[in-house]
Amino acid sequence: MAAVETERIGRVCAAICLLSVCSLCTGHTRDRQVLIELNPGSPSPPPGDLLHARAVGDNDTLHFLFCSQGAPTLLLVHTNTSFSTVKVNWAQFNDRNHSGGLTVEPESSVLYSTAVVFNRLLEYDDINDTADPTSDLFPPYDLQDFRWSRLNLSGLTALLCGNTAASSNGSLCLQLSLFETEGRGQHWPRLLHTANSSQLRVWLDGVLPRATRSRFLLELQSVGGASPLNRVEVHRSIDDEFTPSIFKVSQWISALNDSSDVLGFVQWKPVAYRQADPALEDAAPCRHSEPRPQSGEAVAAVSGLIRAFYKEPEATGLNVSFGLAGEPFYNSTKFLSWTLLVGVGSPPVDSFSPLVIGMMAVGLGTPMILLLLGGICVCTRKRAVATAYEPIN
Amino acid sequence: MADYDERQSLLGDESDGREADRGPGRPMPAICDPSHLLHRVVVLVFMCFLGFGSYFCYDNPAALQTQVIRDLNLNTKEFMQLYAWYSWPNVVLCFFGGFMIDRVFGIRLGTVIFSLFVCVGQVIFATGAWWNKFWLMEVGRFVFGIGGESLAVAQNTYAVNWFKGKELNLVFGLQLSMARLGSTVNMNIMGSVYSKVADLVGSPGHSALGASLMIAAMTCLFSLICALVLGFLDKRAEKILHKEEGKTGEVVKLTDVKDFPLPLWLIFIICVGYYVAIFPFIGLGQVFFIEKFNFSPAQARAVNSIVYIISAPASPVLGFMVDKTGRNVIWVIIAVVTTLCAHMMLAFTFWNPWIAMSLLGLSYSLLACALWPMVAFVVPEHQLGTAYGFMQSIQNLGLALIAMAAGAILDSRGYLLLEVFFCACVCIALMAVVTLYFVDYLRGGDLNRSAAARAKLQKEAASEAE
Repeated sequence: MAAVETERIGRVCAAICLLSVCSLCTGHTRDRQVLIELNPGSPSPPPGDLLHARAVGDNDTLHFLFCSQGAPTLLLVHTNTSFSTVKVNWAQFNDRNHSGGLTVEPESSVLYSTAVVFNRLLEYDDINDTADPTSDLFPPYDLQDFRWSRLNLSGLTALLCGNTAASSNGSLCLQLSLFETEGRGQHWPRLLHTANSSQLRVWLDGVLPRATRSRFLLELQSVGGASPLNRVEVHRSIDDEFTPSIFKVSQWISALNDSSDVLGFVQWKPVAYRQADPALEDAAPCRHSEPRPQSGEAVAAVSGLIRAFYKEPEATGLNVSFGLAGEPFYNSTKFLSWTLLVGVGSPPVDSFSPLVIGMMAVGLGTPMILLLLGGICVCTRKRAVATAYEPIN
Repeated sequence: MADYDERQSLLGDESDGREADRGPGRPMPAICDPSHLLHRVVVLVFMCFLGFGSYFCYDNPAALQTQVIRDLNLNTKEFMQLYAWYSWPNVVLCFFGGFMIDRVFGIRLGTVIFSLFVCVGQVIFATGAWWNKFWLMEVGRFVFGIGGESLAVAQNTYAVNWFKGKELNLVFGLQLSMARLGSTVNMNIMGSVYSKVADLVGSPGHSALGASLMIAAMTCLFSLICALVLGFLDKRAEKILHKEEGKTGEVVKLTDVKDFPLPLWLIFIICVGYYVAIFPFIGLGQVFFIEKFNFSPAQARAVNSIVYIISAPASPVLGFMVDKTGRNVIWVIIAVVTTLCAHMMLAFTFWNPWIAMSLLGLSYSLLACALWPMVAFVVPEHQLGTAYGFMQSIQNLGLALIAMAAGAILDSRGYLLLEVFFCACVCIALMAVVTLYFVDYLRGGDLNRSAAARAKLQKEAASEAE
């Protein structure tokens, strides 16, 4: 009976999956067309690579710019035409003294822009296993001082790795993924993404900790022209199907005056993984600090892309700390991986998978049908018995 | 005179003509009279304590988890072997245990033998700890397992023999609360027993562990004494009431299993579908409450154990209620639906899990009181042991398989899907119980009769026999 049941569930699920795939096919195959260029128009390889991805929609364009001049930075520019372009004045860009090295034309088409700067990596010695990062901070790693590799492109992903100038042990890597359609990442935390977002996976691999009980924090800064990302919302979700045992999603959004219209977002699940190919026990919960306003000028000094694009940058910053009290220390695996989504518009919202809906529908439906069939069966039988008695009377 | 005897064995409750049994002029006080309620209460006490030892010792490893792991230098996986050695053999063994009760030993000798197994197993287990020989401890758990589960089958069979048509549901409820009491007492006192023994021995270590486990073996000895007393009382009742000890001239065969009636198979499905959604869930529950509801580990432990804590006092009360009303199938439906609601609450809401877990505790007790006695209504008495043994066996099989499946689901797809999976299991139980209701209705069966109708039927049968 159980076997029959699971088979039936399987069949229904397959049918539902098929339906949803079909609806995708008939709807639209691609939400955006993504074109990638490396160092557009540069006469010679610049000191740090600049990736430009143009994601063209029906009547708008998203420009994704990813650069390793200074601290690694991802810049998103949303324009309202499908013809907007990016112009780079390479001399000025590499100079990193004045803004205007990078412009989006026509300038009037720009609707919104936001940038995320990976500023510093902090390490602290958690002697008492409290996971309280205020104590015993080591001198931070400034990511602008890292030796960054060239960008390694494959398909719609780009990989950037770097290590400290002092030692060549281990590396900090960032992998940018761009998307033409809605979908979900292959690896945990399997964030849901749309064509309006890009995913960044950041990992530390083999970097030697400076203490056996070291834990790490990552300092992020968000930069915007008028409205940088200004508040972090933590939503609870009952659905942990794609990120087992994580029931929360955090989103750092920019919203104007408490209105519900979200212009841009950085979204992540509060979990990092201690293995490249993680099992459930390798999940390390993370926490974030409250976003605080930062000096825009300081951020521009750190990141070439910010300097080139923004005239008067406004910045906010927050720290993400990996691991809670009682959790294993970084030293146990010397690996830590964390994923975030950066996009414009409202952040994507998870919904139940067809598998969950299918199982509940079959599970609750079948007893109901049985009850109905049984009821009918009993009624007809009763009536049959009653009519059989009539002739005697 | 012969008439009287026949009536006696059929109408245990009739109070006239009692003297005829022992000859005129020698009336028995109620407490010694096997057909009197007071005597049954005495029997019930022994029946309940029959299982106490095995329930107490079953969870000894859990109660001393840190000590066992530290003193014997184990890791968690090796530690879990102590439970695996108990569970896996029982997938097959308690079926044969039940069969042995019906066919070879009879209920009295069978109970004593299985109690002996429990005792000897616990002593081997303790000796293994004393000598720091882990393999010997595993052997001990294995021997203990042979006895433990089959003893539960014997306990069920005894209960039916003495209480069918009387307070059967209540008795099943009481046995459940006794089982819970056994493990709760164990969880709470073994730690302090260990530290007292460690003080006496001089230092904590494997000898202290062995000694405290040997002390725990006293409870098994106590249960063995209960088995002996129970055997004596049963024999005496048989002589007085001239009832035969399950020997109706029909011989049980292993192949009887394939001829079990449809309602019994449905009861088996309910049993497996229901229990696999309870025990594996409680096993994984603690982390679930920490992750999803942000409970502290202590709170999580508390909310996780509420199911068992509720079931100890609730099951006799609910059993009494089922006794007074009858209609077992309806009660089982209520229990299954309540469990389904509780699981759905845990899966799809952030409501305080105390609500869902309390509901789970109540429905778990209600199901135990209403489901297990139903077996006695659908199989002839001489197959009871076999039926209960088979039920216990497939329950063990289901639990072992589903526990592994649940772990795999959790690791790859998370708690939501795990909860949905448990809901699906309960839904299978629900389908089975709905089917059971209609099958029983169409067959004019006894399962869903009210208590009044049952009593009336019994009276009619009795007068016909006269």
